Parts: sequence; C-alpha cells; structure tokens
Amino acid sequence: MKKLLSIIIVALFSVQASVVLAEGASKPKVYGKKGYVWDEMTPERTQVLKMGGDPVKGKESFRGCQGCHKADAAGVTEGVYPRLTGQHASVLIKQITEIRAGIRQNPKMLPFVEDPAISVEEIGDIAAYLNTLTTVRENGKGAEDMSAKGKKLYTDNKCSRCHGVNGEGDAAKAYPMLSAQHYDYLIREMKWIRQGVRGNSHPEMVKAISKFSQADFEAVASYLSRLPDYRTVTAAVPAAK
Amino acid sequence: MKDKNTRISLCAMGALIGMLAMPAVQADPAPLEERLQLCGGCHNPDGNSVIAENPKLAGLNAKYLQRQLEDFKAGKRKNAIMDSIIPMVEESEFKALAKYFSEQKRLPGSLAVVEPVAADPSAPAAAGALSEQAKAELIAKGQQIYMEGVMASAVPACGGCHGEDGTGNDKFPYIGSQNNVYVVNQLTNFKTGARDNDPKGVMRAVAKRMTDEEITAVAEFIQTLKEAQ
Ligand code: HEC
Ligand code: HEC
Ligand code: HEC
Ligand code: HEC
Repeated sequence: MKKLLSIIIVALFSVQASVVLAEGASKPKVYGKKGYVWDEMTPERTQVLKMGGDPVKGKESFRGCQGCHKADAAGVTEGVYPRLTGQHASVLIKQITEIRAGIRQNPKMLPFVEDPAISVEEIGDIAAYLNTLTTVRENGKGAEDMSAKGKKLYTDNKCSRCHGVNGEGDAAKAYPMLSAQHYDYLIREMKWIRQGVRGNSHPEMVKAISKFSQADFEAVASYLSRLPDYRTVTAAVPAAK
Repeated sequence: MKDKNTRISLCAMGALIGMLAMPAVQADPAPLEERLQLCGGCHNPDGNSVIAENPKLAGLNAKYLQRQLEDFKAGKRKNAIMDSIIPMVEESEFKALAKYFSEQKRLPGSLAVVEPVAADPSAPAAAGALSEQAKAELIAKGQQIYMEGVMASAVPACGGCHGEDGTGNDKFPYIGSQNNVYVVNQLTNFKTGARDNDPKGVMRAVAKRMTDEEITAVAEFIQTLKEAQ
C-alpha cells in the first residue's frame, strides 16, 4: 500500500501523467451525453495552442501519417482518408486533441496519434506544416455534378455562417474548411455528425442538416468537393457576406 | 525452401552449441575484429546475412541497432538465439558494433545459396513456371500492401514510414531487401505482442491489423526492394 502511494506521488510529479489524470478523472463528454459542451477546451489543446508549431519539424513528424493520408497529405479519392492540406491549424489541432481525448471517435487512426506515437509538441508542428500545403491532386467528387442543388442547400441552410461562402471555414473559430474535400468523406462526416457517432458535433450544425435526405447529402457534397481550395480563390472573395 | 532453411539453421545451431561449450560465456570485452567473428557467423561479416531467419544488419541506423542490443540484454526483446549470444557481449561493446554494421552497405536480394534441386525428368514442364507465377502474384500483392496499405482494415502503407524503397531514416528502420523469414517473424511477433519493444507502439498497431497471408506477401515483396539510386 505504501509502495502504491509512493508510485502515485511519483506519477503526480510527471507532467504527462498529470494531464492523463486530469482528463481521465471523468469520462470524456461526447455529443448526446449529459454535460457535453461544444468546443470545450481540453488542457492539451490549450497547451498546443500556446506552444505554436514549427512547419519544418512538422514535415518530419508527418511521416508517421503518410501511410494513410499519403505523402502529399491529400488523402484518397475514396474518402476513407480525408485530405488535410490547407486545413486551418486551429481545426487540425482541435480534431487531433479531441481524438486523443476520446471526444471525437476515430479508432482507425488512434494508435498513430495517441501518446506516445506523437508528442504534444508534434501536434502543433504537424498542424503548422499541413496548413502550408495546397491541394494539387484531384479529389473525389462523386459521379454526378449536383452543384446547383448543393449550392442552394448550402445557402438556404446558412452553412456559410460557419463554413464561409467559399467553404473556406473560419480559422479563428476552428470551423473546418470544406472546399475540395473528398465527396465520400463529406457525406460520411455529415451523417456521423447528425447521428452523434463522431462525438464532437456542433448542435447548431445538427439542426442545420436535421432534415437532409440522402439526395441532399450527395448534392451538398457534390458542390463542396467541386469548390477549389480557398487559397486559390481568395482574390475573388466578394466583400459582401 | 523449408528444407533449405532448416538445414541452414541446423548449421547455425551447431555453431551455437560449439560456442556455448566454450568456457568464456561470461561477458568479457573483446576487440571489435574478434567480436565480429561471432556476429559474422550468423549475420555475415559484412552484415548481409544469407540465412533467411537472421536479419541483415548492414545499413541499419546505429541508434536503432544499439537499442536492439540493449533490449536483448535487458530482456525487453526476446529471441532464443540472440538471448544465448548476448550474455557473451559486454554492454560497452554495443556502440562500436552498432556503428560498424550501420556503415556496411546493404546488398539487395536473398544471397542465400540455393542448392540446385536435382532435375526430375518426370516432372511436368509447367510446374516450375506455375510456381514462378504464384510467387509473382504474391509479390504483386505484397507490393500493393507496401505502397497503398489495406484500406478496408486500415493497414497503413509501409512505404509511408519506411520509405518507398525501404531505406527508412533515423526513426524508421531500413527494411528494404530484408530477409523474408525474418520479416515474417517480426510482423508475427509484433502482432501477437511477443515483440513489444517498439517505443511508440505503432508497429504493433500496424501488424495487429494484418492477416497471415498479408504478412507473407509483404515479406516477399520487401525482399525484392532495392535502394533507390
Ligand atoms: C491508419 C490510418 C491513419 C493514420 C496512420 C493516420 N490517420 Fe488521420 N485519419 C484517418 C481516418 C480514417 C480519418 C477519418 C476519420 C473519420 O471518418 O472521422 C482521419 C482523420 C484525420 C483528421 C481529421 C480531418 C478532418 O477534416 O476533420 C486529422 C486532422 C488527421 N486524421 C490527422 C492525422 C495525423 C496528424 C496523423 C499522423 C500523426 C494521422 N492522421 C494518421 C486515418 C489515419
Ligand atoms: C454553427 C456552426 C456550423 C454550421 C451552421 C454548420 N456547421 Fe458544419 N461543422 C461545424 C463544426 C464546428 C464542424 C467540426 C466539428 C467540430 O470540430 O466540433 C463542422 C463539420 C462539418 C463537416 C465535416 C468537415 C470535416 O473536415 O470533418 C461538414 C461536411 C460540414 N460541417 C458541413 C456543413 C453543412 C453542409 C452545413 C449546412 C447545412 C453546416 N456544416 C453547418 C460547424 C457548423
Ligand atoms: C547464432 C546466430 C547469431 C549470432 C552468433 C548473432 N546473432 Fe544477432 N540475431 C540472430 C537472430 C536469429 C536474430 C533475429 C531475432 C528475432 O527474430 O527477433 C538476430 C537479431 C539481431 C539484431 C536485431 C536486428 C533488427 O533488425 O532488429 C541485432 C542488432 C543483432 N542480432 C546483432 C548481433 C550482434 C552484434 C552479434 C554479435 C555480437 C550477433 N547478433 C550474433 C542470430 C545471431
Ligand atoms: C506509422 C509508421 C510505420 C508504419 C506505417 C509501418 N511501420 Fe514498420 N516500423 C515502424 C517503427 C517505428 C519500427 C521500429 C520499432 C522499434 O524501434 O523497435 C518498425 C519496425 C518494423 C520492422 C522490424 C525491423 C527490424 O529490423 O527488426 C519490420 C519488419 C516492419 N516494421 C515492417 C513493416 C511493414 C511490413 C509495414 C506495412 C505493412 C510497416 N512496417 C509499416 C513504423 C512503421
């Protein structure tokens, strides 16, 4: 018993262990469970944001991710692995830390991003690196071009409120960029966000897509996947929102 | 194939028993040249082992090699054969041994001497061609896994970490042209957890998602990899 106590005391002095204890104290609060607050900061995310990131180191660390997201970080056209190029660093950090904390569910990827596969510092480095990349490779767009219907749904449901008029997202609020993302990935995420299985749904987004049919999901994904990477169109962004 | 392997490992075991019978089982630092005779018996003097169960050490990162030796010594990595060798080697020798093998040039392919099988005139001419084709199919399947991974079971592409030509870097070991049986053994051990000294646990995560067939196929392909020029 004494031994156990001393082990606990030693563990408390280790920074890593203290983070684990702080987070492990209660089960992660996921969407649909009591106490869930969208965008609640985890201690780790606060830490990463404070540390910032080094894109040169991030390129090195990203090597452990290439086996799925590919060397150019553009993912696969089937949408199984999303493209990460150009995504806002704030969004990447939110997603990775929430996956590590068990808020967003991603069992396929977890062993490769959880501690000790990558360190807290590497999260910021990788996010900084990915944000510098532009997508050049063709993304998955779905068979049929349903952009017109998709654009109408996107406008009518005010998705641009969070994701921007060009699907560029919002770095300051950690709303993801959606443009030029793979079609199948977009559909899957919208469904998982609505069903709550993703774990980190924004309640207002759930409301916005609550009445979407399969055809609506396909049309919106068709539209968004055909939008160019926002950084290639910034000059053309209209002033009016 | 199986026969050949058993024969070679029997030779190795013979050498091993001979060595164990020597009085100097106690660790005693020896000059590098002398020590290399011990290692060379199983890993070849230049580190390009010709025995399929024994890894090529040539070209592996020095820190990686040193850590493996330390892990064998500490019992963190287990293998009946290396476990019987490592007590003879002083920990202070690891650095020089690791440096030596890391500086050797890795040679491609399997260098194991394949003894010619006595030609059987009664065997159908197609038999040889067929097995060649089966082998080519296995290698092609292995290449697919190595380069693209297996999406359905989320096996990441090996090339993503180890490099498309398998040469790796300071974080991911050189596996290109590594002996096939050794690779099968490591993947199986990572899968079952019998080898659990990968510090970040990622290799165990990869291998746990693989079937035995996939392991065999990818090992065949890895043996054919050559360093990119
Ligand atoms: C075994 C395959 C695999 C590996 C290795 C992997 N990922 Fe992923 N990653 C995925 C999958 C699958 C998804 C999508 C999960 C989903 O559908 O919700 C994903 C999603 C993501 C997302 C969320 C993207 C978004 O738009 O919300 C980020 C960020 C990410 N990965 C970063 C990384 C980083 C960084 C690494 C390396 C440290 C990595 N991944 C390694 C499979 C992998
Ligand atoms: C109130 C803000 C808000 C609104 C409105 C909103 N979303 Fe979202 N959306 C988010 C947030 C936040 C996420 C990421 C989840 C997280 O990190 O918590 C997201 C994620 C997504 C994703 C997955 C992106 C990825 O990379 O994983 C898609 C696709 C998406 N939204 C589409 C839409 C569509 C289509 C609409 C309109 C019908 C919409 N959203 C409305 C906030 C919003
Ligand atoms: C009797 C044969 C034998 C001798 C002698 C021998 N080894 Fe080994 N060695 C093996 C075998 C077999 C393995 C594979 C172990 C496994 O499957 O895990 C191995 C594995 C290794 C590894 C791990 C390589 C890797 O890629 O992870 C290192 C390093 C190593 N040996 C170094 C040495 C050194 C240095 C010496 C000389 C002091 C030596 N060995 C002597 C048979 C031998
Ligand atoms: C996420 C990165 C990553 C991926 C993907 C990966 N590996 Fe590894 N692999 C490693 C690391 C790290 C080690 C070294 C472990 C250690 O240091 O003990 C390793 C070690 C190995 C070894 C042992 C090397 C030796 O000399 O003993 C083999 C064999 C191997 N990997 C094969 C594969 C194969 C085959 C694949 C694809 C199916 C693969 N790896 C995918 C990271 C990876």
